[in-house]
Amino acid sequence: MIGRTFPRGGGEIPHRKEATENKSIVVFGAPPEVVIPLKQHIGACCEPAVAVGDHVKMGQPIGEARQFVCTPVHASVSGEVIAVEERPLPDGGKSPAVVIKNDGNDQLYKEYKPRDYEEMSPEEIRRAVKEAGIVGMGGAGFPTHIKLDPPTVIDTVLINGAECEPYLTCDHRLMLERAPEMVEGLLAMIKASGAETGIICIEANKLDAVEVVRQAISGHDNLSVEVLQVRYPQGAEKQLIKAVLNREVPSGCLPCETCCIVQNVHTAIAVSEALKGKPSFERVVTVSGGAVLDPRNVLVRIGTPIEDLFNFCGGLIGEPAAIVAGGPMTGPPVAELGGPVIKCSSGFLALRENEVGFDQNRPCLRCSRCVEVCPMGLTPNLLGELSSKGYYRKAEQLGLLDCIECGLCSYTCPSKRSLVTWIKDGKAGLAKEKAS
Amino acid sequence: MLKTGPYLRSSLTIEQVMVDVLIALIPALIAGVIFFGRQALWIVFLSTLTAILTGAVLLRAPFNLRGILGDGSAAVTGLLLGLILPSTAAWWVPVVGSFLAISLIKLAFGGLGYNIFNPALGARAILLLAFTSQLVKFAVPFDTITAATPLLSSRTFSWPLLWGNVGGSIGETSVIAILLGGFYLLYKGHINWRIPIGYVGSAFVLALLWGLDPWFTITTGGLLFAAVFMATDMVTSPVTFGGQLVFGVGCGILTIFIRQYTSFPEGVTFAVLIMNALAPLIESVTIPIPFGVGLARETRLKGIAAAGAALLVAVGALVWIDNTQPALTPILSHGQHLPIADWLGTSDFESLDFEGSRFYVTWNEEEKPAKAVYLAEQGGFNGPIRFLLVLDQEQNITDLRILDHREDPGLGELITKPEFLDQFVGKNKHNELALGEDIEAVSGATISSRSFTTGVKRALENFELAFFPQEEILEWADGTYFGSADSFGGKLEVEVSVSEGVIASVLVTGHSDTPGISDGAFEKIPERIVALGASKVDAVSGATVSSEAIMKAVQNALEKAGTPLSEGVMAYSIPPDGTYRGQGTGFGGELSLEAVVKEGRLAEIVIVESSETPAIADGALDQLLPAIIEAQGPVDAVSGATKTSGAVLEALDDALVKEEGQ
Repeated sequence: MIGRTFPRGGGEIPHRKEATENKSIVVFGAPPEVVIPLKQHIGACCEPAVAVGDHVKMGQPIGEARQFVCTPVHASVSGEVIAVEERPLPDGGKSPAVVIKNDGNDQLYKEYKPRDYEEMSPEEIRRAVKEAGIVGMGGAGFPTHIKLDPPTVIDTVLINGAECEPYLTCDHRLMLERAPEMVEGLLAMIKASGAETGIICIEANKLDAVEVVRQAISGHDNLSVEVLQVRYPQGAEKQLIKAVLNREVPSGCLPCETCCIVQNVHTAIAVSEALKGKPSFERVVTVSGGAVLDPRNVLVRIGTPIEDLFNFCGGLIGEPAAIVAGGPMTGPPVAELGGPVIKCSSGFLALRENEVGFDQNRPCLRCSRCVEVCPMGLTPNLLGELSSKGYYRKAEQLGLLDCIECGLCSYTCPSKRSLVTWIKDGKAGLAKEKAS
Repeated sequence: MLKTGPYLRSSLTIEQVMVDVLIALIPALIAGVIFFGRQALWIVFLSTLTAILTGAVLLRAPFNLRGILGDGSAAVTGLLLGLILPSTAAWWVPVVGSFLAISLIKLAFGGLGYNIFNPALGARAILLLAFTSQLVKFAVPFDTITAATPLLSSRTFSWPLLWGNVGGSIGETSVIAILLGGFYLLYKGHINWRIPIGYVGSAFVLALLWGLDPWFTITTGGLLFAAVFMATDMVTSPVTFGGQLVFGVGCGILTIFIRQYTSFPEGVTFAVLIMNALAPLIESVTIPIPFGVGLARETRLKGIAAAGAALLVAVGALVWIDNTQPALTPILSHGQHLPIADWLGTSDFESLDFEGSRFYVTWNEEEKPAKAVYLAEQGGFNGPIRFLLVLDQEQNITDLRILDHREDPGLGELITKPEFLDQFVGKNKHNELALGEDIEAVSGATISSRSFTTGVKRALENFELAFFPQEEILEWADGTYFGSADSFGGKLEVEVSVSEGVIASVLVTGHSDTPGISDGAFEKIPERIVALGASKVDAVSGATVSSEAIMKAVQNALEKAGTPLSEGVMAYSIPPDGTYRGQGTGFGGELSLEAVVKEGRLAEIVIVESSETPAIADGALDQLLPAIIEAQGPVDAVSGATKTSGAVLEALDDALVKEEGQ
C-alpha cells in the first residue's frame, strides 16, 4: 500500500470508476430551459435580482447574497426569465428558483478579463470569489469566500483530490485536463487565506493525475503533491487532514482550528476562473451507473434538468433501482428527475438492481464491524439504536454529532441496518429537541 | 418513500457469517469423530438437528429447507453445543440441551442478536447442573472406556493435548483443529484477536503465577475452544475494542479462579457466562474516544497506567493470599485446598497416581511409604463418595475425611459425622471392617455406611497393591523360552529359562534401544524379575519404556511356557437360594441385572436393563456372564468393554451383598 492514510477505521469499498475515468470531459451545450435554485449552498437563500419577463445574459447575477453565509447565483444561459418560483431540488427539498428560457445566444454578461492573482490583494481575491458565487464543489456547498477568511491563522491549503466515492471521476478528469488552472486557483487561495503552502492530495488509484499535477506545480516551491492510500473515506475533510498533516480536527470544530483549509479540485479551478471574471454557472459532473447507456464526465450548465443530463448520456436502460445525486456512499436519492444540476452536484448515478444494496434492518449481531470501520471512532450500532428509539441526548454523549455520515457502517453491516439514516434522523431530532 | 443510502453494501450477510462459523467448526468436529468415534457424530447430529427444528418450530418458519434452516444461527448453536458435550452422553442430553439453548436462552430473550448469554454455553450450564454425571464422564480416544478429563488426572502438558488425543468433550480436545477454525474466522474477519488473545493470554499468565503448567492450562478443559468459538460470540460480547480485551481477560481470570476454587474443574462454561452478563456493563465503560475528542495523550496514558496498576495489584493480592497458606496442594476433586503437608508432617512429599487414584507420600529408608494421604472414591447411594485416608507406616488409618458425596441430607449424609468416621481410625488392612462387627453402621444409612466401608477396605487393598505388590509365585514348565516386545528403538528380545517351575534367568538377547538411557533397565529389570519370580516388577525410572518392554517380552516368553498355575479368584459368598437384583453404572448409564441362586450356587445372570452400546456390550456379556458363573466369582473384565464389565461386576456385588445386609 503506497501513500499516507488516516489511522482509525476506514475500509475498502468497490471503486467502479472504470466506466468514466478514461473518458475526456464532454461539453453539454445548454438545455432549452434552466432552473436555477437560489439556494445551492449551505447558509441563507439568495434574494431574486430579476423578475419574470426580464432578459438575462449568461453570467448575470440573478440572486443577490444579502446575508453573511450566502453566495450569489448567476444565469447559466442568456434568455428570458419565465418564472421565479419554488422548484424541487434534486434531493427532494425545495428552493425558490429562477427559470430561464434559453435564447441559444449564450450572450455574455461581462467579457472575461484575465487578472494575475499576484497583483491582487487577499481582499480582492476573496471579493472576486464571492462575486463569482463559488461554493465548495465537492458536495458540501459551503461558500468559499468565507472559508478563505478564517478566524484563525492558516498555514496550509489542501486540495482534496482524493475522490474516494465510487463511480465519481470528475475531479480525476479535471486534474488530468485542467491541472494548470487548478494550480492557479490554489495559489490564489493560498494568498487569499494567508497560508504558506499548498498540498494537492490524490488517492493512489489516480497515479496519472499525480504525474500531471506534479508537472503543473513545478516551479512552485510551496506546493507539493501527496499520494494517499486508497481507503474510504480518505476524502472526508477530517480524515484528509489527519492523513496529510497528522492534525486532528477537534470535535465540533472546523478544519481551520488546525490551521488549514481544504478545498475541492473543482473549487480551485472555479477560483482561477473567478479571477478573470467568470462566475460559477457551469461545472463538470460524472454521469455514471449501470443504468446509464453511455457514462461520461459532462461539463454542464447549472440549472440543467437531471433528466436532460441522463438523456445526453444515452438515456437510462430500464428502470434504475436507484438514482443518486453525488457518490453512492453519501449522496442523497434524486427525488425529482426534473430537478436541476446545482453547483455542488459532483455526479448523478443511475444504478441497476445488481449494483446496489438497500437497508434490510435485520437484527444486529453486534459483530462490531461498524465500530471497526468507523473513521471517527464511534460506535455506530449504539448510535443508530439510540437515535432510532429517540434517545438523542444519550446518543449525543456517545458522539452522535461527530458522525461524518460517510456510510461505511451501513456498507459493512451484515444485517444491512440503516445505521446512517438513523444517525441522520438522530441529529435532526437532537437539533429539534435542543431548539424547543 | 425513496430508499436511502448508502447504495453500496458489502456482500456479507448473516447467513454468510453463520456458514463461515460452521465451516470453522468442521476441523474440531472431524477431530472429535476421529478420536471419539461415531458416537460423537451422533451426539453432534442430534444437537444440531434439535436446534434447527426447535428454532424452525418456535419461529413458525415456512416449511421448506431455506425456511427451516433460517439464518443458520440455530445450526451454529446446535453444532457448538454438540461439540462441548462428551461423546458418552446419552442421546437425550444433546436433544434437551439444544432445545433449551434455542428456546430458553435465545428465543425467550428476543432471538438472534438479543440473547444475553451464549446459547450453547447456557444450555451446557443447565445440563451440567441438572445431569452432572452425563457431562463429566469423558471417553478416552479410540476406546470405549471412560476416564476423567485430563484436568482431573495429570496436570502437565503433553503432546497428545495438541492433537486432541485425550479425553474430553467432542470438539474441545484438539488444539490443532480449534486453531485451524480460529484462523479461518480471523481471516474472514468474523472474530478479532482481542478476545481469544485476552482470554488465553490472561489464563497463561495466571497459570504461571499460580505455579500451574501454563501450556497445560490453556490446552485443556475446553479453554481454547471457548476462547476461539464461545467467548468470541458476537452477540454476547462487547462491541468496543477495549471492551473485547477486558472481556477476554476477564474470561481467562474467571476460568482459572473457577478451576482453582470451585468444584467445576473446567471453569470455562461459567467464566464465559458470567462475562456475558457483564458485557453490557463492560461495553458502556469502554466506549471509544471519538476522533477529535482526544483527551490529551497523557491523560489517556494515565488511564491505561491506572487500569494496569489496578489489575496488577488485584492479581498480586490474590497471589499473596494464595501464598500465605504454605504448601497447600490444590486438589482436583473438590477444588479445595487440603493441608497435605500438615498430615504428612512435611512439605517434602511426592504425589503419585495409581489406577486413577492419587497418593501423596513421604518415603522411609526402605523406599516404602512412611506416611501417605490417599484420595479414593467409592460409589455411594446417590453417586460417588470421595474421601481421603491418612495412613502411617504400618498402613494404619490415622485420619480420614469425606471430601464430597451425594448422599441424602439427614440420612446417608450422617456418614460424614465423626461418630461414624472415627471408628476407622487405627484400622488397617488386617481388619475385616465388617459392618455390625468392627464398624457400626449409621442407623438409617446402612447402604451409605456399607458403601463407604467397602470403599475404605478397597482403598486399603489398593494401597497394598500400589506399594507392596504381592509376590505371586507362579509355576511354569521347565525349559528355555524366547519372547519379544516392541520397545523404544524397535524389537526387544529376551531369553527366559525356567527351572523347577520358577524363573531362573532372564537375558536380553537383542534390542535397539538407546545405550546409556536404557542401560539401567537392562541391568535391573531381569534381576528384579528373577528375584520376584514374576514378570511384573517396578520399572526403572528414566527407562520406563525399556523396562516395560522387557516385562512384556518376558510375559510373551512365559505365555509359551503354559498357563501360570495361579490361585483361584475369590468367589462370591453366595446367599440363600433366590433371585437378587442389583445395579451398576456402565458406559451408557445404569445397568441392572438379576442373579439367580440355586442350590447354593450362582446359577444364572439375567441382564434386566442396560443402556450399553449393543454392538460392544453384547459380545462382552456373552463372554463375561458364563465366565462369572463358572468361577462363582468376579473375573477379569472383557477387553474393549471394561466399563460394561465393571458395571456387571458392580451390579452383581450389589445384588449379592445388598441381600446380605438389608
